[in-house]
Amino acid sequence: MFLSIENLRTYFYSRSRRAFVRSVDGASLGVARGETLGVVGESGSGKTVAALSAAGLVAGSPGVIGGRIEFDSRNLLEGLERYVKVEERDGRVMAAEKDEGGWRKHAESLMRRVRGKEIAMIFQNPRAALNPYSTVGAQLVEAIRLHTNHKSKAEAKERALHWLERVRIDSPRLRFDNFSFGMSGGMCQRAMIAMALCAEPSLLIADEPTTGLDATIQARIVELLGELKAETGITTMLISHDISVIRRLSDRIAVMYAGTVVETGAAAEVLRPRAAEQHPYTAALLASVPSAETIRSKSALQAIEGEVPDTIEQPRGCRFYGRCNRVTDAVRSRCANLEPPLAEAAPGHKLRCWLHAA
Amino acid sequence: MRLSAVKPVSRVLARELAVTALLLAGVSVVVFAILYFAPGNPLHALGVREAEGMASTWPGQYAAWFGRVLQGDFGHSVRTGLPVLPELARVGLNTLCLTLGALALTAAIALPIAVHAAARGDTPGNTAATMAAYVLSAVPVFWFGYIVVYVSIHLFGMFPLISGTATKQQHAWLYSLVPILVLGTASGTLAEMIRHLREELSRVLAEDYIRTARAKGAAVWRHAFKEGFLIPVTEIMSAKIPFLLGGAVIVEQVFNWPGMGRMAWQAAQDRDFPVIMGIALAAAAFVRLGSLAQRVVFTAVNPRASKE
Amino acid sequence: MRRYVQAQDLSRLPLLQRADVLDLVYVGYGLAVLALVLTSYLAGAFGWLPHDPRAIDVALINAAPFTPGHLLGTDFLGRDLQARLILGIQAYFLPGLLAIAISLSGGCVLGVLAGYRGGPLETLVTYFANLVDSFPRLVLILLVIAAFKPDIYYIMVVVGITGMPAIANLVAGKIAFLRQKSFIEAAHALGLPAHSVILKHILWLNCRSVLVIQATLGMAEAILIETSLSYLGFGVQEPTPSWGNMVQAGANYFLQGNFWPSTAPALAILATILGFQLLGDGLNNTLEGKRRR
Repeated sequence: MFLSIENLRTYFYSRSRRAFVRSVDGASLGVARGETLGVVGESGSGKTVAALSAAGLVAGSPGVIGGRIEFDSRNLLEGLERYVKVEERDGRVMAAEKDEGGWRKHAESLMRRVRGKEIAMIFQNPRAALNPYSTVGAQLVEAIRLHTNHKSKAEAKERALHWLERVRIDSPRLRFDNFSFGMSGGMCQRAMIAMALCAEPSLLIADEPTTGLDATIQARIVELLGELKAETGITTMLISHDISVIRRLSDRIAVMYAGTVVETGAAAEVLRPRAAEQHPYTAALLASVPSAETIRSKSALQAIEGEVPDTIEQPRGCRFYGRCNRVTDAVRSRCANLEPPLAEAAPGHKLRCWLHAA
Repeated sequence: MRLSAVKPVSRVLARELAVTALLLAGVSVVVFAILYFAPGNPLHALGVREAEGMASTWPGQYAAWFGRVLQGDFGHSVRTGLPVLPELARVGLNTLCLTLGALALTAAIALPIAVHAAARGDTPGNTAATMAAYVLSAVPVFWFGYIVVYVSIHLFGMFPLISGTATKQQHAWLYSLVPILVLGTASGTLAEMIRHLREELSRVLAEDYIRTARAKGAAVWRHAFKEGFLIPVTEIMSAKIPFLLGGAVIVEQVFNWPGMGRMAWQAAQDRDFPVIMGIALAAAAFVRLGSLAQRVVFTAVNPRASKE
Repeated sequence: MRRYVQAQDLSRLPLLQRADVLDLVYVGYGLAVLALVLTSYLAGAFGWLPHDPRAIDVALINAAPFTPGHLLGTDFLGRDLQARLILGIQAYFLPGLLAIAISLSGGCVLGVLAGYRGGPLETLVTYFANLVDSFPRLVLILLVIAAFKPDIYYIMVVVGITGMPAIANLVAGKIAFLRQKSFIEAAHALGLPAHSVILKHILWLNCRSVLVIQATLGMAEAILIETSLSYLGFGVQEPTPSWGNMVQAGANYFLQGNFWPSTAPALAILATILGFQLLGDGLNNTLEGKRRR
């Protein structure tokens, strides 16, 4: 695995509620070199926070408190245990101590050469993600001069224009001098993709790159990402709640729910409708997407009963229990009291479900 | 700034100048109104007589009075008989130095605390510093002045009370720093400055585009500088100029500093209308100039501003 | 090292527990100061003073605090400082309330006009706000003193007027916020009459904490202005005590090494202004909830 996240725990402490928001609560997933891993889940599933943790961009206290993030055989969380002390009870974290200043310094030294140069990240809401006080061109040139050998301003400008063309932005020379507020969302996203890729990173993390854009623009951006993926062969971790985007671009898929990964496998397998080996949540997700068939037959939209659990109060047992429509009497007591492990149900296909555990 | 941005920027600046002019006009109306309604008819003292061929209505008097003001005729001091404007110009410079110096000092104290607090959150260090700033902001500046005077006399042998007069001591210019020190620390604006700067910087550091800069591996400070640093600093400094001018009135009393503030105090005692009127106008003009300067900086830095 | 502990019981936490410890300290201190000022004001108003504040006692000049009979010592004429300090509150308390009343009422009116109606009215109010802010307060007051009487109530009217823009801004800001949340639209859709929306819903329910905070800050401002003016020799004259003129009177003695006659009133000013400011800020952080890391 080129990027391997193991048992990641990223918590945020809410002072007003005196409790931890357990955004990522023991998530494990991996991306192989050259492939695109699609991470799908609802809002609050922890997928964005997991991506931010991988890039070392988590802001908030206490932040990352446990786990391993292996990137290109380096552990990006190496030494975390020295700065964090966690007290657990019944498997739940009840108190945490973290030397944030110390960890920040240590993490900076680990991430300094990696961020931007080897791991690049693009975000949703691209207009807000670009510096409104600086031209698009200037921001591109900055990235190029930082991370490539093109150190002179003239050279960097050439490269920047080259990349703006490569992301199929219209009138690259004009856009070079534009500010983000003068550009549409789609153009800003293209510019951000250019800014991420011009440093020639080996891993791209794309956090909801199409969310917030118009539907037609979304399709174009997805197209662009597909083309760039084919051209450069870059390893990608793609996060989205939009299954169609995930379906179009991913080689493998990880499904996240309530801070954990509940299913991973090849895209075709995970997304196969009504598959035998499938997590109930994935099944429910797929069923809830309206298709031509459901529209034709005018059947009711399939929503998932219940609500995403508040990541503060974690019940015992499986996190999806209570919304799961496949629970049987045989496994009910286990589902209610014991959290299932992420186990292999078929080669390369893992599920976190008592229905499929050995 | 690129050439293509110059023309719209100058249009925005022209608008700012117009607003400033309008406000200064308003200031003159307020001052005139106070003079008009004052018992003892001070307008006569200024030589604005009804017999000047203008109607004796108040718009006429205002026009006559304002016309003179614009020509630089602020009347003559009731006490000394000297023309007001040249006197003002002479001492105004001293007050300017005092005010700007103190402003710079307050900002210099506030900045490190605010930046540290924004970047690192609440630490025992900056919490203590903020609390100290609260106390300093509540200290009566005149009493603080006495403490500093006492210390400088007894510890350093400096007598900063007599300033402005030619002294034979070598480091005469050092004495002028003492009032700046006093006003800069105890002007009462320190706590608010820290709060404003910290809030703005924290807000900017949490913005999406700063996160992108971090993701890029770029220097965060370079990206946060304009919105999180330059603009808030100029904003709060220009907003606090009136407060510092008020403090200058007091500090000039304590140190016998030959400035506009002390002159204002004298004028208020003597009911010296031309002088106090001139000072009010000058002070307001200074405030508006500071505000204009801040708007210039804002427009120069903010690409959005020049698009309007 | 920072420690985070999960609370055992996650039921609704009352306001007191949700507040920051530091803010509670601020508010506590501020309330203590407020109580002290109130009781001292009443004591002074009814003449319940430990000593005659004008009684000169040549034998006990510059007595230190805790001298028997004089809790806070005496000044350079042997006059009891405690009595003088208590009496000094008279100089700013009621005038301060006047200033607060003027700026709150005027500010609310302007803020509602600007925020509720908007358009040219908003421009006008903004202009007025910028106009008022152009004058340094003290200079404007000196101008008014030169023109009219140096009566503290006149002066507090000016202070009240100069305090209106800040409050108008806050109220207009709140209205913009509520408008953005479609709150006002909803109220109209429900058929609520305009005056009810403004008075009850906007001002009382949504603005009252902000207005209380501005009132405390306004009192701090009033104390600052009154003491500065009486220090400069305007306002209350000797032998009637005001904290400002007490500091001024003791100035010469201070420079000779006799600190207490100037320092006692200065500390009173410091402690009181600090109290009102901390009260305002503490309430602001707790009620208006700016979250800090």
